[in-house]
Amino acid sequence: MADFAGAFASSHGPLLVREWDSVPQSEKLRLEKAFRELGRRVTAARPDVLVTVSPDHWANFSLDNYPAVCIGVGETNEGPPEPWMKAYPHRELRGHPGFAFHLLNESLQHGFEPSQSHRLKLDHGTCIPLWRMELSKMPALVPMLVNSIEPPMPSLARCLEWGKLLRKAIESFPGNLRVGILATGGLSHSIGEKTMGAIHEDFDRETIKLFASSEQSLVKYLEKELPSRGNGSEEVRNWLVAHGAAGSRGFELVDYLPVPAVIVGCGFASWR
Amino acid sequence: MRDYWLSKMFFDLQQPALAAEFKANRDSVLARYRLSPEVQNAIREDNAPFLAERTNAYLLRYYFFTTGMKDAEFVRKLRGG
Repeated sequence: MADFAGAFASSHGPLLVREWDSVPQSEKLRLEKAFRELGRRVTAARPDVLVTVSPDHWANFSLDNYPAVCIGVGETNEGPPEPWMKAYPHRELRGHPGFAFHLLNESLQHGFEPSQSHRLKLDHGTCIPLWRMELSKMPALVPMLVNSIEPPMPSLARCLEWGKLLRKAIESFPGNLRVGILATGGLSHSIGEKTMGAIHEDFDRETIKLFASSEQSLVKYLEKELPSRGNGSEEVRNWLVAHGAAGSRGFELVDYLPVPAVIVGCGFASWR
Repeated sequence: MRDYWLSKMFFDLQQPALAAEFKANRDSVLARYRLSPEVQNAIREDNAPFLAERTNAYLLRYYFFTTGMKDAEFVRKLRGG
């Protein structure tokens, strides 16, 4: 049986790389500290495998085929395709087909129908947090791409259920592994909309507060608020997957700060 | 509402080679997609509100980024300015 090594969450806005030089120094220092603290927690959890839960920002999927959820089962996946991510040091990232296929099979056995990919491009959504956390050793990655980009999207309740399924899959894996979860994205931001640049700090802080409350109150709040809080805020789905995997308890905020220079309410968290 | 071919072109333009070709000879690239005359005009005129009604917001932003437009200018156009 594998062990659940822990769950972690981080924002991943592209401007954290592209516009890094324009971020005010005080915010830079806090962001660096938050990323490093998250990296320290991931390292301390000693995961052999990290399930990375993030959206696909049109790197793999198009309107030809945009799955609700896709699990990367390949031996390796590609590094970020975005030209502005070319400095990212990993052009290939090791996968873990053994656990990935186990997760895929468990999903299908329990009423979930993800798609599968034997080779994915892991865009900035996955790679910015991995990069900025400065992990000394990169675990094998099992990408789980959850649609929070192109409506309609998986329901919030379903994302929580996905987390619970993920936990069951970890605990039923017949091997000596430590599996962690890294959810990325959010908190509030708006991309390509008239409201682009808006950060809803009140929404972010209430969401953070509710992660320490009941599942029902969290989901109810998000269902009501998400439609008016910017399309990027939909990425909180990935945090819900991590939350579900952690048993919907133990949420601990590492830091939160709205950063206008990167147009994201930047959140960092882990689950005890 | 989604315009499939517009979205397809925006998706494809993430490839640097095609983006370079688009910058050098836009009409040649436009001709490869089944775009209505109205959509083609909207592209030529940077009519962001018109295009926004027909594609995903992320793809729209990527497209204007690819053309070299700064975010501030993109948002101004998107708001009809």
